[in-house]
Amino acid sequence: MKCYELKKSFIYLIVFINTLLIFTNSIFSTTGKYNSYDWKTKKSTGEIKAILTRPPYVPPSVGNSLAAKLIVDMEVIELEGELTEGVRYIYWTFGGTVPGSFIRTRVGDEVEFHLKNHPENKLPHNIDLHAVTGPGGGATSSFVAPGHKTVFSFKTLNPGLYVYHCATAPVGMHIANGMYGLIFVEPIGGIPKVDREYYVMQGDFYTKGEYGQQGLQPFDMKKAVNEMADYVVFNGKVGALTGDNALTANVGETIRLFVGNGGPNLVSSFHVIGEIFDRVNIEGGTAINENVQTTLIPAGGAAIIEFKVEVPGTFILVDHSIFRAFNKGALGMLKVKGNENKAIYSGKLQEGIYLPEGSTIQVMPDENIPPEVASTKSERILTGKHIYNRTCLACHQLNGSGMSNVFPPLANSDYLNKDVARAIEIILKGKSGEITVNGKKYSSVMPSQLLSDEDIANVLTYIYNSWDNNKTYVTPKMVKRIREKL
Amino acid sequence: MIGSVKYYLCSLLILFSINCNAKENSKIAKIYGGTYTPLYGKKLSDVTVKDFYIDIYPVSNKQYLEFVKKYPEWKKSKVIELFADDNYLSMWIDDETIPKNISPDAPVVDISWYAAKAYCECQDMRLSTVDEWEYVARADETDIDATKDRLYTERIIKSYETPRTYTHNIGSTYRNYWGVFDMHGLVWEWTLDFNSIMISGENRSNNDLDRNLFCAAGSIGASDLMNYAAFMRYAFRGSLKANFCIRNLGFRCAKDIEKN
Amino acid sequence: MTKPTQYILLLILILINQFSIAEKTPINEMSIFQLPSVWINQNNQSLELKDLQGNVLVVVMIYTSCQAACPKLVAHMKNIYDQVSSKTKKEIKYLLVSIDPDTDTPEHLKEFAKKNNMLSDNWLFLTGSKENIRVFANVMGTKYKKISPLEFSHSNIISIFDDKGVLQYQQEGLHSDNSNTVKKIMELVMP
Repeated sequence: MKCYELKKSFIYLIVFINTLLIFTNSIFSTTGKYNSYDWKTKKSTGEIKAILTRPPYVPPSVGNSLAAKLIVDMEVIELEGELTEGVRYIYWTFGGTVPGSFIRTRVGDEVEFHLKNHPENKLPHNIDLHAVTGPGGGATSSFVAPGHKTVFSFKTLNPGLYVYHCATAPVGMHIANGMYGLIFVEPIGGIPKVDREYYVMQGDFYTKGEYGQQGLQPFDMKKAVNEMADYVVFNGKVGALTGDNALTANVGETIRLFVGNGGPNLVSSFHVIGEIFDRVNIEGGTAINENVQTTLIPAGGAAIIEFKVEVPGTFILVDHSIFRAFNKGALGMLKVKGNENKAIYSGKLQEGIYLPEGSTIQVMPDENIPPEVASTKSERILTGKHIYNRTCLACHQLNGSGMSNVFPPLANSDYLNKDVARAIEIILKGKSGEITVNGKKYSSVMPSQLLSDEDIANVLTYIYNSWDNNKTYVTPKMVKRIREKL
Repeated sequence: MIGSVKYYLCSLLILFSINCNAKENSKIAKIYGGTYTPLYGKKLSDVTVKDFYIDIYPVSNKQYLEFVKKYPEWKKSKVIELFADDNYLSMWIDDETIPKNISPDAPVVDISWYAAKAYCECQDMRLSTVDEWEYVARADETDIDATKDRLYTERIIKSYETPRTYTHNIGSTYRNYWGVFDMHGLVWEWTLDFNSIMISGENRSNNDLDRNLFCAAGSIGASDLMNYAAFMRYAFRGSLKANFCIRNLGFRCAKDIEKN
Repeated sequence: MTKPTQYILLLILILINQFSIAEKTPINEMSIFQLPSVWINQNNQSLELKDLQGNVLVVVMIYTSCQAACPKLVAHMKNIYDQVSSKTKKEIKYLLVSIDPDTDTPEHLKEFAKKNNMLSDNWLFLTGSKENIRVFANVMGTKYKKISPLEFSHSNIISIFDDKGVLQYQQEGLHSDNSNTVKKIMELVMP
């Protein structure tokens, strides 16, 4: 009896293994067929215009189709943009964005690259694509004066996620001004489908003024050479991926992030607070690591990161060289909507603690450069708004609503409107211990803020004159009086 | 008939500095020669620049308009393609009309090297050499050579990054030690031997020159790795071809000092 | 009317006629024959580029005292010449233009031609004023710089012009097998 049973199960096992073998065989033969497709010599099949996307978006997958002649049309544009609230900067860009447009190709494509240099631009540029096998990665063939264009072509031989950048002398300056982006070469047959794909790229910026110094800030060569970044940001500016610009997903979805690092100087310790990366294509190559907390992305390198979001909430993307996240802008958000899953996460909103207490460093005015001085109430409100958005917004939110149970609201706030002196004191000294605002209890800690009298007056005037508050006008004198008493 | 013969002859001669009427050169500065170290030099040794004259200002739209009236072969409808690409005077409305939004006193731009050269020759002058231009451009308001002054270099870089400076009038930047205006911060300028600059796309296969465009990007062989402003100028020159006409590129003329 | 006056008038008429013919057959706008420069060849004869009208031109810029790149460029030119002349008897001019007129006198060029066995009529070694050399180099996008008394750095470009003087093809670098260049020349001489 026993023997019979064993025999029976043995037969089952044989059948099962056989089926498995046939199945895997068929898989291998399919793969084999693809492998024997001679993509190095095969003439490309058709001519396609590449779809280019602005960050954080990624063009649709192309890996499944046959290799083709792919026309990439890219324009270099020098333009003024905002590094953070009130700080303007002249960016040099591929396609008008930092990072530049995302290019998606597949192995075996013949890429015909058209690089145009806008007539209003002041400088010559070129492009070095790390996906190119050939001298200079295309840089030598693509050197182009303003008002002119150049065409060169290359064959994509190796799959992977590659950085491209400008390589015109002085190359560091061209990269520091934003001239980098990603090109993805899909392997034959493509990569597994996921629910959402996003494009994130880190870069460091060097400005004449310190972080947050208002106005048009020129590039600072000395700081760049010394690798003393004022800004370390995702997608070209502080807040490119926060608030309304946050990446979004739904619970249960699998996310793929194409993450690059343009540098020019700093290496990124890329981390998503509250997530573990299920799979990482290390350095954008073929090797896959699983269950990764933080992945290192070298300057001029990239990584493909995949993870499934299991619970709702806001997940913070950071460079885990953490001062960069809190003080220099290397912070993004992934907002996940859906039903809570208490079995996976109990729901204490722990990620709140990582929100920047001062996402900016509060700098005393430089002796050489006079701070922006506001003299009228309306000027104070305007300047105050910039300060608020840099300093207070992360916790108290754009509309002053705070975060329920964690950060008290500033909008229509009884606690605030009751006592101006107390409000000034809190900014100067910080606040701990339980308080009641609009009937709800809060016990978070607010650190003291290193702001000048002028800045405090401006930011409070802004707050008091926003969101149905009582329109109090706070002057530097009032702040000074309270500071002296402390 | 005779007129057309004369025209034919003039268009032949125009490139090569014969018989053009000399204009009064009251707005030139005398530069006393000396030695300097160029960014890319003769194997890093100093270069000697002789005494010469140079225009105080870049050539303006107004001045260039006078020129094309006198030498119509340089009008935008007449100029031949070998000597100027399609961007030649591209902002001008027609052969003799500067658009309203462009000041007649702004520097003339969208000019090819051939055109700039012909203009100077018709003033009995010539384009300056790269070495002459760089020699003058080292000066700030008070010093012959301010290139070691970090603030000076930073000021120049800032002005290079600023968009649309070609719309400003000539003379609107500072007057340097030599009394020359607008060496930085207005427009790039053509030089006679711009094609001696090897930071370029086409010489990539040269035995010892192909380093210039890669990541080292011209840093090998350069005399001053901190002079980013000079790198920007040399890279710009390296990207040029003689028939290119560019929005931010104008010129000024220079002249030898005749020995008595 | 006196006789001399008649002669002068006749002369003028002939001249005018000449020029109007010149005007009737305009040179292509992109043609190097637009350049009015005068050159001296290795036989000490002066010529203008437009004297070469009707020939496909293969042009390279060199200097004869060059130790590094130029011997290779010259070898490339000879190789192109050998390949082409085995295929066609059509007239093609091979121009080697000096970038060092101070050293490369016509005698010097003649010497160089002999030494390198480039003696057929197809070979033209040209020298001229520094100015004309720079203009011609710029037409071809050739860069060069004197870096010491007997040393230049320069681009390695071989340019092909059609019989109208219009640039048709450029071979860059020192590592080519010349096959595309030869193919291009054959297309131009035998359309």
